Amino acid sequence: MTTTAPYRVTPSRVLRSEWHKLATLRSTWITLLFSAVSIVGLGLVVSAHYETGNREFVDPIELGLAGTQIATISLPVLGVLFTAGEYTTGTIRATLTAVPRRAPVLWAKAGVLTAVVLPLTLVTCVAGHALAQTFLAGTDQEASLTDPGVLAALAGSAVGITALTVFAMALGGLLRSVAGGIGAFVGGVMVAPEVVGLLPVDAVDKAVEYFPAQAVGNVSALDAVAGAPSPGLSLLALGLWALGTTAVAAALLKRRDV
Amino acid sequence: MITAQHLTKRYGGRNGRTAVTDLSFTVRPGTVTGFLGPNGAGKSTTMRMILGLDAPTSGRATVGGRAYAAHPAPLTEVGALLEARSVHPGRTARHHLRGLALTHGLPRRRVDEVLDLTGLTEVADRRVKGFSLGMGQRLGIAAALLGDPATLVLDEPVNGLDPEGVRWIRTLLKSLAAEGRTVLVSSHLMSEMALTADHLIVIGRGRLLADTTVTDFVRDSGAATVRVVTPDPGTLTGLLRAPGVDITATAGALEIRGTTAEHIGRTAAAHGVPLFELTPSTASLEDAFMTLTHDTVEYTGAQGAAA
Repeated sequence: MTTTAPYRVTPSRVLRSEWHKLATLRSTWITLLFSAVSIVGLGLVVSAHYETGNREFVDPIELGLAGTQIATISLPVLGVLFTAGEYTTGTIRATLTAVPRRAPVLWAKAGVLTAVVLPLTLVTCVAGHALAQTFLAGTDQEASLTDPGVLAALAGSAVGITALTVFAMALGGLLRSVAGGIGAFVGGVMVAPEVVGLLPVDAVDKAVEYFPAQAVGNVSALDAVAGAPSPGLSLLALGLWALGTTAVAAALLKRRDV
Repeated sequence: MITAQHLTKRYGGRNGRTAVTDLSFTVRPGTVTGFLGPNGAGKSTTMRMILGLDAPTSGRATVGGRAYAAHPAPLTEVGALLEARSVHPGRTARHHLRGLALTHGLPRRRVDEVLDLTGLTEVADRRVKGFSLGMGQRLGIAAALLGDPATLVLDEPVNGLDPEGVRWIRTLLKSLAAEGRTVLVSSHLMSEMALTADHLIVIGRGRLLADTTVTDFVRDSGAATVRVVTPDPGTLTGLLRAPGVDITATAGALEIRGTTAEHIGRTAAAHGVPLFELTPSTASLEDAFMTLTHDTVEYTGAQGAAA
């Protein structure tokens, strides 16, 4: 019956609900564990077999964090599942009857993913780098945490992967299909820039440098690529990709029938 | 209290399908209101518009005087059971309910209460994946009751339940209505509706066909028949022929709809037609429903449904 108890929907409650939903699925923990092990483990294996003299092709962050290339797909897949999975399973109807204003649900999902993925990637990137360096000390890939640019590049990797995860979450919400969301992420973010970059038009080449995956590369590089956008601009681009797509997804979520 | 005012829903632009047309009705507290209609009549669409999941093309639906989305704590106003599965199969029943409760700040204890009320306590920590249809339905009802709402909107709640479950739902709905709540239940099981509902809203092809009590609906439907045996069926048929009267000759008898046994008896007596048998039979809700909706059924078999 109608009650005088202080029950009402608030943004912080929606945030807690979304955290609960993410934390109560086994697939979440499996993906997080897999991503963490990849980030730390792969770079370790690659570093153990490194032969000095290749610094012009690869920098210490790329080498030590080779595993981020896997996490750059596995964590965004978690993002897609977080939204599109609700449509696949029908949970979205329960969610939106509880939060009929709708948009807070998507912003809460973005917040929860950030709160989980950013610390996880930050810790694993720093740990992965430190472990890889035990093999790389004495080679041309030696780079201690206190060397200029190293911490920034490690933080850039973590922020970059987090932004891609939020971006993928928004794609899942836009497309309302797990297969569609993962396809759009892999096709649009990983493959399309390579194809578009082949066009012999300078403006297109410039634009491609601000695409999500390219921006992640720019914020996580230790040896900056000549002519690439600055880390600051790349960070801004990433933020716009993640938040802009979430805003579009939120606007559509409010308008569409469920 | 649920109010629908000129609700219309069209899908797919100008040339699309119109699911609901200019539907207006009021569902009052204190009774169980049955929402009837053939498949595709627009019942689910109407319920989704009440819950703000689908936006009406025109018109408006309110619950307790406000649009669903305008309630600051919607789960405490309206409890809804829509399609049976609105649950992630990998989550446990308890976690599903807890996730919903958290959006409103409902206490953990309330989750335990609805699990207990729906008989799911023992399976509460099992993943929903392994639930039977009936258990899934109970979980949906647990979710609907979570906010202790003044209004309940349930789409086909007895679907997939065993006889004991059906009986449990019937008792539950009646007791919820007796507590003064507004209860709107759709079903295609007429016999179940006849037992559960006091009031009926009947729609066909998205339009309102009836908004009345179960008793009046059956009485006014014209589905009641009178069986007459006479040695002179031809004469009697001629005498009774009138608009709205439907006479079917069966082996040795006439099945007459649309008039009363009294009228048939008096007519026969006035014209000296002997009657050997004059048996009125009251219609079931199902007969009444079929009579009212037989030309509004969207999908009929090759034989038609003009029974």
